[in-house]
Amino acid sequence: MNYGYCQQALRINLSEGSVKKENSSEDFLKDYLGGRGLNIRRLYDEVPPEVDPLSEDNKIFIAVGPLTGTLFPGGARVNFTAKSPQTGILGDSNTGGFFGPELKFAGYDQLIIEGKADELSYIYINNDQVEIRSADDLQGKDVFKTQKMIEKEIGDSRVQVACIGPAAENGVKYSGIFCNKVRAAARTGMGLVLASKNIKAIAIRGTKDLGAIDTEKFKKMIKEFDKKIREHQEYETRVRLGTTQLVSSLNEKGCLATRHFQTGYFPDADKVSGEYLEKKYKKKEKACFSCTIPCSRFFEIDEGKHKGLKSEGPEFEGLAGFSSRVGVNSIEDSLKAVDMCNRYGMDVISTSECISLAMELYELGILKKEDADGLDLSWGNSEAVFTLIEKIKNREGLGGILADGSLAATEKIAKEAKNLAMQVKGLEIFQADPRGIKGYALGLAVATRGGDHLRSEPWFEFTENAEEGEKRFGVPESAFRLEYKGKGKVVKFYEERCVLADSMEVCKNTLVNMEIMSFKEAASLLKALTGFDFNEKEMKKSAERIMNLERAYIVREGIRREDDVLPERFLKEGLPEECGESAGSVVELEPMLDEYYNARDWYIETGIPKENKLNELGLEEIVKEFRKREIY
Amino acid sequence: MYDLKVVVEEIEGFCDMPMEIGDYFEVKGGKLIIPEGKHMCIWALQSLMTIIPAKQRELAEENDWIPYTKRLTCPDPEGRVIFRIDRMDPVTGKKVEATEKRPPRILVDEDKCTGCRSCETVCSFENNGIFTPVYSRIKVEKDEEEGKDIPNICRQCGDAPCVKACPVGALIRDEKTNAIIVDQKKCIGCKKCTEACPFDAINFIEKREAPLICDLCEGEVECVNICPTEALRFENGGGN
Repeated sequence: MNYGYCQQALRINLSEGSVKKENSSEDFLKDYLGGRGLNIRRLYDEVPPEVDPLSEDNKIFIAVGPLTGTLFPGGARVNFTAKSPQTGILGDSNTGGFFGPELKFAGYDQLIIEGKADELSYIYINNDQVEIRSADDLQGKDVFKTQKMIEKEIGDSRVQVACIGPAAENGVKYSGIFCNKVRAAARTGMGLVLASKNIKAIAIRGTKDLGAIDTEKFKKMIKEFDKKIREHQEYETRVRLGTTQLVSSLNEKGCLATRHFQTGYFPDADKVSGEYLEKKYKKKEKACFSCTIPCSRFFEIDEGKHKGLKSEGPEFEGLAGFSSRVGVNSIEDSLKAVDMCNRYGMDVISTSECISLAMELYELGILKKEDADGLDLSWGNSEAVFTLIEKIKNREGLGGILADGSLAATEKIAKEAKNLAMQVKGLEIFQADPRGIKGYALGLAVATRGGDHLRSEPWFEFTENAEEGEKRFGVPESAFRLEYKGKGKVVKFYEERCVLADSMEVCKNTLVNMEIMSFKEAASLLKALTGFDFNEKEMKKSAERIMNLERAYIVREGIRREDDVLPERFLKEGLPEECGESAGSVVELEPMLDEYYNARDWYIETGIPKENKLNELGLEEIVKEFRKREIY
Repeated sequence: MYDLKVVVEEIEGFCDMPMEIGDYFEVKGGKLIIPEGKHMCIWALQSLMTIIPAKQRELAEENDWIPYTKRLTCPDPEGRVIFRIDRMDPVTGKKVEATEKRPPRILVDEDKCTGCRSCETVCSFENNGIFTPVYSRIKVEKDEEEGKDIPNICRQCGDAPCVKACPVGALIRDEKTNAIIVDQKKCIGCKKCTEACPFDAINFIEKREAPLICDLCEGEVECVNICPTEALRFENGGGN
């Protein structure tokens, strides 16, 4: 019987065709908690700066956390980590669904995939049995078809499949790994890493016993958390709309990414909102493994040109990415574009950024029609959006340029347009305008995997409670989204909450946005689950250790303060008049960075963690390595 | 024999007869009596006809649903006029309630199921202390492309084929809850019950050589409690 942890990792070397089981010690698990924490530790140790992300020497780490597969609501998650071929730094992406729990039931906390298979293959893990099977007939198949064919071949409807689509096989930099059809670990190009290893999919079936060491206490605590969640003021909205609620709420605040961040207000938002989707096409709520907040949905379009289109989803990022960001005011067209990305296996954020970038360059006359394969890239032309998605997937014409990501695309199209690529460290940013949410802006600038909001999610800045701001962060302004003061501390706090969520592998909805669990409660829950002697202080330290290790990883790759930056538009151009309260706002990045590095105890000039901070966290060997590499 | 009073209790759809809420007819012996000036829809009547003679009589079949079922609907899918059938004492003319209440069972509404499988996890954990849904007595079959999530659990059949199939009498019906209980001491692991179940609702654990059948957790039905969308309910069908 496994209790929370399986204390076992499975190492598969594709070049050698070998499979090895490796034990993990209690101390190692306590220091790195699980999921994201386990993965960064191994990535740091096993994939040094000399490794080319698309070479055989890159490795992909797939890990679950202690709460994955348990009754904890939303304990469904799994992290995929490798050196990113999209950004060249930390690649890390996380998804829900049912794949993570199945990995745990098969008896593993972590899979390590290294080397390269001779031919296109898929990995089939059935508890202790591991097979590398030919994926000859799966070549070029989309995500939906691939999962279905593998399920059929194995003959078990309970097998869980994580796979790549044709975008990854064709070399799209932002291709992801998809589970349960639409559950995507889509960021930082983890799909392309799998493709580079000739792996089309990983299929898992697990039936091993997983329990809690103190069953009664665990049961009691779970009931309390479940109650807290169901009584939370946000519960009902989250069930009704999930993340799609953000289309209208961000638009009201004047910070919904519109026409490639030219403005934060989309006049047609009510035609593409979560509320509109709910009213028109939502059939029912959907949820990840063992989650009592069904924040996802199943929809079916029953009229018009996309009649018959049905799927689980979308999330806010896809919905807004293919509506406001590209100026499209038809929800049906937006749903169609999201569905295409899901089937081809590409990230909706990066795809929508690349297309909206092309549209802005077209508007500016930098990208001419003849260089755009004859496409009319006017805002709102959804047919052109569909064509570009298709072209990106196939790496054809303009699609071939956009398939490398927005930063690389500007280098090819027009170097002077580099500032228009809405990315940080090569990773495209989300569908909210950073100028209207300054804590998020800082979060994007410093996120360890590049421009991403899910590394911090400092939602506290929406609370507008000055007293709480003073109490929690010593700065009343920290509770207000348009203020910059205190945000360094806020971001540090929420970064560690996100580490906790990603390492225990539970959903950020509950752990970060609803803040239903303190570090103290987390320690007590993990103690009841695993029997390990967790305590609040050590857990906080572990979260900080994981953060610092990720920073150390990207510092070793060459990242410094000057890379913790935002696209120029957010620093210099105020949001337009129509953006209401947010009008005129720009991001005061430099003072926020100073405050952040101070809060982290990193060198202000360089953003490198100080020696004493790393030593305090038990990362002395990194101090030594940095000295050797002359980083200090 | 009872007299019956059949009343229009609710109209979910649109009825163009029209039948109206409160309209009724009575059944006394072999006669059907409609109040003067009122009418009765023949389509609704034909759907009610089969149960009328049965409701008039005291039935003593084990685990029979007829004595406890009150509400029946008209056959028009657009109309959905719901009738309530009350038993009346022919002497006093007063309503007779069923003396024993039928114990509730787990009802499934698959259109509401989110497919989260919390019910499986909680079932396995509450009964076995193991999260792995291998030990669950409820199973959710999923079709992700079609958005179908279908929970499957013992229906506590009236004339349960699993009980009849057991060669050693290891399956008994719990008197209080009406659930099928497996006497693990008597069970010889022959799998006959599992094969006999027409709903494939028995989870036979090969390594334990034992069938798992929903025992309704002595009334503390954790799968129902955890379900966030009321796709599972612990109630009686038929409005009782």
